[in-house]
Amino acid sequence: MENINHLYWRAGFGLGLQEWQDKKNWSVQRAVDHLFAQAKQHSQQALTKDTFAVTTPSMSDAQKAETRKKERRLVVLQSVDWIKRMASTEESPLLEKMSLFWHGHFACQSKTSLLANNQLNTIRQHALGHFKDLVLAIARDPSMIRFLNNQQNKKLKPNENFARELMELFTIGRGNYTENDIKEAARAFTGWSSNLKGEFVFRPGVHDYGRKTFFGKSGRFDGTDIIDMILEKRETAHFIVKKIYRYFVNEKVDEEVIDDLSRQFYDSSYDIGALMRVIFTSDWFYTEKNKGTKIKSPVELMAGMLKSLHIDFENELALVFLQKSLGQSLFNPPNVAGWPGNKNWVDNSTLLLRLNLPAYLFNSQEVNFKLKEEFEAKQKNKVTRRLLAKVDISQLYSLVKGKALQEQLDILSQYLFAQPPTISLPLFQRITRGKTEEEAIQLQLVGLLSLPEYQMC
Amino acid sequence: MKRRKFLQKSALASTSIMIPAFLKAYQPQQLQNSRSGKVLVIVQFSGGNDGLNTVVPFRNDIYYQNRPSLAVSADDVVKVSDQLGFNPALQALQSLYDDGLMSVVNNVGYPNPDRSHFRSMDIWHTASESNEYLSTGWLGRYLDSNCQGCEAAHSALELDDGLSLALKGAQRKGYAMSDPRQLKKRTNNPLLKHLATQSDHHEEENVAYLYKTLANTYSSADYLFEQSKVYRSTTTYPVTAFGKNLKQIAELISADTDTRIYYVSLSGFDTHANQRNQQERLLKQYAEGMKAFVSDLKKNDLLNDTLIMTFSEFGRRVKQNASRGTDHGTANNLFLIGGDIKRPGFYNEGPDLSKLDKGDLIYKVDFRNVYATILDKWLGSQPNTILNKPFRSMDFI
Repeated sequence: MENINHLYWRAGFGLGLQEWQDKKNWSVQRAVDHLFAQAKQHSQQALTKDTFAVTTPSMSDAQKAETRKKERRLVVLQSVDWIKRMASTEESPLLEKMSLFWHGHFACQSKTSLLANNQLNTIRQHALGHFKDLVLAIARDPSMIRFLNNQQNKKLKPNENFARELMELFTIGRGNYTENDIKEAARAFTGWSSNLKGEFVFRPGVHDYGRKTFFGKSGRFDGTDIIDMILEKRETAHFIVKKIYRYFVNEKVDEEVIDDLSRQFYDSSYDIGALMRVIFTSDWFYTEKNKGTKIKSPVELMAGMLKSLHIDFENELALVFLQKSLGQSLFNPPNVAGWPGNKNWVDNSTLLLRLNLPAYLFNSQEVNFKLKEEFEAKQKNKVTRRLLAKVDISQLYSLVKGKALQEQLDILSQYLFAQPPTISLPLFQRITRGKTEEEAIQLQLVGLLSLPEYQMC
Repeated sequence: MKRRKFLQKSALASTSIMIPAFLKAYQPQQLQNSRSGKVLVIVQFSGGNDGLNTVVPFRNDIYYQNRPSLAVSADDVVKVSDQLGFNPALQALQSLYDDGLMSVVNNVGYPNPDRSHFRSMDIWHTASESNEYLSTGWLGRYLDSNCQGCEAAHSALELDDGLSLALKGAQRKGYAMSDPRQLKKRTNNPLLKHLATQSDHHEEENVAYLYKTLANTYSSADYLFEQSKVYRSTTTYPVTAFGKNLKQIAELISADTDTRIYYVSLSGFDTHANQRNQQERLLKQYAEGMKAFVSDLKKNDLLNDTLIMTFSEFGRRVKQNASRGTDHGTANNLFLIGGDIKRPGFYNEGPDLSKLDKGDLIYKVDFRNVYATILDKWLGSQPNTILNKPFRSMDFI
């Protein structure tokens, strides 16, 4: 059971109660097969709202500003939909988790919901496929092209931004290329652009067809050739595997395991699905030192709570407030290096909010938290708000009602935690003393979810 | 000085009942540290303050040509030197300037400037190169460096509900608090109060980190709440959130709080359209706030131990746009205020408007030279390791 919890928290966002009851006694092999089978039947996500506004040169500054503002709001709504999708039992948790990982890897701030959603669907399509297809699709992705200024990358005036990040952050990592390699790679990506409709276009007029020298080889390379040559280097497999390991297994790496996985990944022509299957079915993945060691990201925390608790927000913008206040806004990572993760999620402010969150949700308590102000003038900024939500605990109630407190706590923590913590019975006796059983169970739930261990997976 | 001794005593008296024993144990030591220690206050202008309309080159024709409807007319400028003067909204700064409490560094920036708010603010917070991504801030790395007198979580305090990247280190982080009473309320959850005392015996490193952070959060919340009651300022501050924050900082400094760094922001400087009213409203808040803050500290003989640095993530384009605003630019001026300023007035020459890079000012002073100076001469730490490479110290302090 602990292995299944561990698997589903790392390969997904935990389990809904019904799923947990069905699967908790499955073998790891069976569960992994099921996760991959689900991922094969993925669907594209539709746009939340069908409006798509782009700024055009003919607009006035005020119109442009208005359009951008409207689009920022749509991007935010799109992020709420994505979190709900992560928590949905109808969707593939593995695919959504992989997509969240790649979204942090190919970190990109999207300016419109269409661009954001298209990019995410592109990532989904290749998230468990071949890394080369994924990199190529990202290089042709309009949102990334805009974010890293490849629109401005032209033969007579190359812009190196995309070429630099492609190597430094997306594929091979620092120390494996020269400044000249970046310059030459940038030339190869000249003319990879996008149009006003948000589609990829190749503009031959500004593409540099000349000879380039890259990694010591010379030829009339274009962007695809550059990606091929980067992936020919074993260092790329190592760089990606290490990042995947630190995200899915443990931030403290086991170099031997990494070397071994890197070899397999390289030899499989960068088959991501095969790599993930090896990880999730390896014995070392289930050793104690790899369990319950990861601090959930804000999005993992939210999706996980939605999944296990049937939370129904009166206003779903609560999920926007939580993304912002806890420090992870989807489609808006801090920079192209993505979210640094782990201990970086936690400071006195975010920890208190995380640990108070169950009480806020169950009691509709007032949350007194002012978001950091935007840069623009005259932002309205609400200081207090209530996260009005219905939390339906009837299923959990029927699961444990009539049992002794210790047994109730055991069952609930087996379900809720990736790795059940040591629980102080006297503490919970104190909390629940003199309450009706239903109240007591709710208080137990709030108590368990407020433990720092719940922040771990 | 007598007053300060009294304050210290009353600080001890009023806190002794409330705070946990382990905190009490190191209190006298703390007070000694903070007595001899310097205090750094960072003021952040968010949104990219237009430096040219802040410190106005009122004899420069190019300035007036580029800003036909936005330039501050020479008649209105607060003329503190023969070339450069303050925006009239900064009138309140004149006395600080005249008293030698202020140094203005012009043309501060960094190579290959980025014109995105987020990215440029990141660069200022992390002190990185413009093509380098760091996940720790410069003041966070100062905390990481085992600095003297910053054992407590509130050694670096941001007056806000959330913590800025500048104050996040790899091992240690600053502390965010918008208001001691609100924070106290937020720590009211009895279960969390109990868990905050359970920080021992957690083997897993990250779990231990969460418990330790929780324990520190609680002890600092108690401590700051008590400290906030020690000294009530009678100085009049502007009635704005920014003014309230400055007053809070002055009260904490006066109460000899064991905090070395205070961080506070003023937002809304992204003035693409109808700049004048918006910018001047903010500058006025700033200047009047600073004047009150400085006089408050002076009353308690604390100004010599205080250095205030004011910065923004970038300046703005020299040429105004079609909406009576300005777009994102590059180099900017930076203010240093305190009782111990070595080169008051203008630290260097104003911007050269005849030599621009694509319509933008060219930086002459890397902001990391300013940081290095503060880390070295004010905080007494090792700037080279904190900034990851050597930056020459300047001589404003």
